[in-house]
Amino acid sequence: MTAVVETEGLTKFYGRRKGLEDLTLQIQPGEVFGYLGPNGAGKTTTIRLLLDVIRPTSGRATVFGADTRDTAVRGRIGYPPGELALEGRERAHDFLTFMADVRGGVSRGRIDELAERLDADLSIRMGQLSKGNRQKVGLIQAFMHEPELLILDEPTSGLDPLVQHEFLAMVREVRTAGRTVLMSSHVLAEVENVADRVGIVRAGRLVAVEDVAALRERAVRHVEFHFDAPVPKEAFEDLLGVRDVTVEGASLRCTIDGRPDALIKAAAKFTVVHMVSSEPDLEEIFLTYYSEEAPRAHAGA
Amino acid sequence: MPTLVRKTLGEYRRSVIGWLIGISAFLSLYLSIYPSIRSNPEFYQQAALSKYPGPLKDLMGGLADIASGSGYLQTVVYQLLVPLLLIMCAMTLGTRAIAVPEEQGTLELTMTLPIDRRRLVLDRWAAFALSLLAVALVTLILVLALAAVGDLKVPAGNIVAAHAGLFLIAFFFGTLALTLGAATGKRAFALAVGGGYAVAGYVIETLGKSVDAISWLRWVSPFHYYLDGRPVFQGWPVGDYLVILGATAVLAMTAVLAFERRDVGV
Ligand SMILES: Nc1ncnc2c1ncn2[C@@H]1O[C@H](COP(=O)(O)OP(=O)(O)O)[C@@H](O)[C@H]1O
Ligand SMILES: [Mg+2]
Repeated sequence: MTAVVETEGLTKFYGRRKGLEDLTLQIQPGEVFGYLGPNGAGKTTTIRLLLDVIRPTSGRATVFGADTRDTAVRGRIGYPPGELALEGRERAHDFLTFMADVRGGVSRGRIDELAERLDADLSIRMGQLSKGNRQKVGLIQAFMHEPELLILDEPTSGLDPLVQHEFLAMVREVRTAGRTVLMSSHVLAEVENVADRVGIVRAGRLVAVEDVAALRERAVRHVEFHFDAPVPKEAFEDLLGVRDVTVEGASLRCTIDGRPDALIKAAAKFTVVHMVSSEPDLEEIFLTYYSEEAPRAHAGA
Repeated sequence: MPTLVRKTLGEYRRSVIGWLIGISAFLSLYLSIYPSIRSNPEFYQQAALSKYPGPLKDLMGGLADIASGSGYLQTVVYQLLVPLLLIMCAMTLGTRAIAVPEEQGTLELTMTLPIDRRRLVLDRWAAFALSLLAVALVTLILVLALAAVGDLKVPAGNIVAAHAGLFLIAFFFGTLALTLGAATGKRAFALAVGGGYAVAGYVIETLGKSVDAISWLRWVSPFHYYLDGRPVFQGWPVGDYLVILGATAVLAMTAVLAFERRDVGV
């Protein structure tokens, strides 16, 4: 199975300024890959290299097994630019029709269907579109030809919540259809629910690639149990992966790393009346990759 | 017609119509006053010479015999002002092929389409050429009509020849602006360098006729291949026109090659 995206030592310097250095990465068919990093990390640089808008200083990148310079490759990619500039007096619908024509035609009604779904007004002239409508036009042109690879550069930044909801649903559909997605973001929360794997870039370098499921296993979770009678603290001490235990009468508070199994078994010896478990805080793990100090710094906190 | 050519023509349409109106208004105004000049030739000839003494006279193309139909047509239409307008029109359109959309950020989206970079430049260049050709053809018809109405007594063939030269010189400078824009992505740079070359070229060609120190430079001026053959008086300077056309083709090839290897939008 050839990788959909494959890079080898991909490097880009803007003059003397580093954009991206020595990126080696593979994205497999059907995978949703979250590409995470703070501003200036090199996400947009990577994406523009894959789209052949800019050329690598060294290294190489292939998409669907072909060099990114191969024009045909871009016919199979959908891409809404991070900051979409649209100008001119052309109406949005005509512009989208032009894009569709260049892509060899899009089934009739597809543009209208997407416009309706996103509630976009396509009768407006391009130069006069509101920011929201502009983003919708960007999304429509990226999804309309049902691309095999979707490349999204911080897609939800600035989308209004309703559009964002619809957009995430569209990404999930693409994923269900078995197509491939590369989605960049500077916040984990944006991709953790759709991504299978996340790659973390910092200062132009890929510092980690993680399975989201594995990340979740390692995630920190705050848990509260309420019992029908006071419980002894000792019953919950020295459990595997359980720390910060506090007991106040009939309630227990603690933090778990990874699996809750040991805690659940210990709690089952008493009568549980109520239980609260926070969402795993992947952000906390994720942030450790950003700071150069020891990973998992939170473990000692 | 390729989709991108059609789309680019659409982008150019309003600008083309604007330039057409402007240049047509200029032509109509100046060519409609010819009858009053013909009726009083000595007065106007003297007035012109005293208004443009010395080197200014050379810059205006010599001002010889401006009361004759050919002299008048050469001086007010084909010498300086209309070439200037059409070159400005061409350079504006030329920068709008690559540099302007690149600076606006709209080119990036076009580049994510499955269009070859060479194709992109050539399609935009073709649309620029067609737009400029439309301006040239409409204004040619207007000049022919006004020359007939005003009874300028210039053979229509010579007017067509002069207008072809006018188109070519504008085509050259517009392509130059397009090429500079394609190579650098900078509109202001393309206009400054292209415009600077146009002004310098014009001065060298016109003043070079009487200033020996620069006359040897005349061959590097595109205007040399347009003005030196005096098409209004003598018809088609075919060889000279082919030089302009050849240089334009070289520029277009350069645009393709330069754009092919460059980072866009950085
Ligand atoms: N056109 C450019 N010229 C010079 N440096 C650039 C340019 N584009 C990006 N960079 C630099 O490259 C690095 C990565 O930028 P970018 O890929 O835009 O990051 P991200 O998209 O992750 O925020 C940054 O340090 C940025 O300053
Ligand atoms: Mg970015």
